[in-house]
Amino acid sequence: MINLTVGIEENLLTYIQKECLSKNNKILPGFEDNLFDAGIVDSAGLISFICFIEKEYHILIPDEDLLPENFTSISVIAKYIRSRQKNI
Amino acid sequence: MSLIKKCLVWDLDNTLWDGVCLEEKVKVKPEVSEVIKELDNRGILNSIASRGDEDLAISILKEHNLKDYFLVPQINWLPKSQNILKISSELNLSLDTLAFIDDDEFEREQISYMLPEVLTFKAEDAKYLPDYPDFSPSEITLEAKARRSLYQAEIERKRAEENYKSRKEFLISCGMKLNIRQMKENDIPRVLELMTRTHQLNTTGLILNKDELLNLFHQRDESLNIDVVELNDRFGWYGIIGVVIYETDKPLWKLSYLAISCRVMGRGIEKAILITLVRKAYQNDFKIIEADFSDTGRNKMMRALYQMSGFVNEKNGKESKLIKFYADEQKLSRAPDWVEVL
Repeated sequence: MINLTVGIEENLLTYIQKECLSKNNKILPGFEDNLFDAGIVDSAGLISFICFIEKEYHILIPDEDLLPENFTSISVIAKYIRSRQKNI
Repeated sequence: MSLIKKCLVWDLDNTLWDGVCLEEKVKVKPEVSEVIKELDNRGILNSIASRGDEDLAISILKEHNLKDYFLVPQINWLPKSQNILKISSELNLSLDTLAFIDDDEFEREQISYMLPEVLTFKAEDAKYLPDYPDFSPSEITLEAKARRSLYQAEIERKRAEENYKSRKEFLISCGMKLNIRQMKENDIPRVLELMTRTHQLNTTGLILNKDELLNLFHQRDESLNIDVVELNDRFGWYGIIGVVIYETDKPLWKLSYLAISCRVMGRGIEKAILITLVRKAYQNDFKIIEADFSDTGRNKMMRALYQMSGFVNEKNGKESKLIKFYADEQKLSRAPDWVEVL
């Protein structure tokens, strides 16, 4: 369920911490950091991330939207999620 | 088509050995020991999902010199379905590539119910397994013979990652070296194996049989290229992990097929390969870079790869299964800087 007290950015970061990084990872990505350049997400990781986002935010992400402008950093992903929520 | 299983998960008591090890002195069934070694030799992994005491069970396996044959054994009191899920995630193998063998009908039924993709076998069938098509790959490649150690190296990589403060630091420490070279005739069995085993990182789902691939191999010329991709890092040799087919006809450079082993998922290798190929094509004065993608229902990752790397698709109004992507030199993203291309 969506935790309304936590912002989308924080929630995405929690997912990344849990699913993409090792337990001892100390350096978390900043909201503006490119997740692909940091090796945190790649094509395979992105597909799992998309599944999580679709379930968590009850939105459907069309394949055409898998673009750098929507999915490279936590802040652009959050922005994309907000724009999809408005479109419902 | 029956899918070749990639890993057989064994129960222990009354399956791998006669009797219950917590109650009596047990011995591994000799015919079972043979099966384990034969599957291993064919590149099919062995694992364990069994109830019981881990230390005791492992010591029995050691006595029989079998311990090293089993990857990520799960010996505990958890439900076996949970243990099989753990094996699937630790080895990064999808459930439909796993099989499970147990003497207990209840356990088999339980798995069939909870994880219907997992094929189950009765303990008494163990000795026949090497004759079943599910365990009979058509060719045994170098990678197959080394498969257990390749997965073992992968388990060590995962452990090593725990010692690094960031993902990037770990990836750099691996020292990955990529070599893209022309396919040779003796690479054919491995290429066929990759085509059949690779479903997710596969741009079109093309599967050729041996004759078709041989034909294609003999047709190679200036305009038709078949390359293979090898990867090494400080943990060892990954083997041939990718196949690339591309056609050239200036100014067009066309990527017809790209498949990359699921073993290297999660470290940006697919992007390193794609960007390297495309940059090289631009350097060699090709102006139009085209790439085929065909939706197989399992390969969304490859579509994501093209789009996230800066490829755009021709919009013909209707969504068809075959999509042609085009690279845009201005938009082309950078290759991961932790992968060195030889």
